[in-house]
Amino acid sequence: MKPEEFRRILEDAIMGSHEALEKIFELYEPLINKYSRIGGKLDEDLRQYILIHIALNISKFTIPIR
Amino acid sequence: MNHQQDNEDILRGCFTKWLDIVIYRARLKYLRETEEKLEIVSIEVLPEGNQPVYEDDLRKVESMTDFDFVEERLADAFAKLPIKRQEILTMLFVEGKKPEEIAEKLNCSAQHVYDQKYQALKKLRVELKKGGDIK
Repeated sequence: MKPEEFRRILEDAIMGSHEALEKIFELYEPLINKYSRIGGKLDEDLRQYILIHIALNISKFTIPIR
Repeated sequence: MNHQQDNEDILRGCFTKWLDIVIYRARLKYLRETEEKLEIVSIEVLPEGNQPVYEDDLRKVESMTDFDFVEERLADAFAKLPIKRQEILTMLFVEGKKPEEIAEKLNCSAQHVYDQKYQALKKLRVELKKGGDIK
């Protein structure tokens, strides 16, 4: 993914676009899955909790001024 | 042009770091919350399925086939692998994905997937050899 595209998706996700948020989830799936493991197994409840947490907090991320 | 590119890379780096912290905190919060939910229950009120193991159950364990033990050792060896390699093996052998698809999903090259698969299988072989399961 090109950096400009990433910026656009991130901006949209911060503005509340569900589609952009889905792309962010897709892009960071390995990181999300890494933290969603308990005892080496993927815990779906924890994964959902993390996704909700990201969705609720992404608007708090401030994009640095170019 | 390069300056702009650098700025965009910095943005992605910043966001990744921020996200890493957010996810880590969410995980801690979840674990804390679920831990609080766990209650101490008296042994008498436990349902039958959750009763402790007694002699009859132990006999069942003794009659487990060799295959069960190999499978158990394989699971232990698998759990010792780094998470990334576990994911790659799961996608390859459980989900039946092609290395190219996995590479796209993990944002890496197909060769990297092949390398990780090779290393993971090698490690599994070494672990199983320790238990005398394979020669």
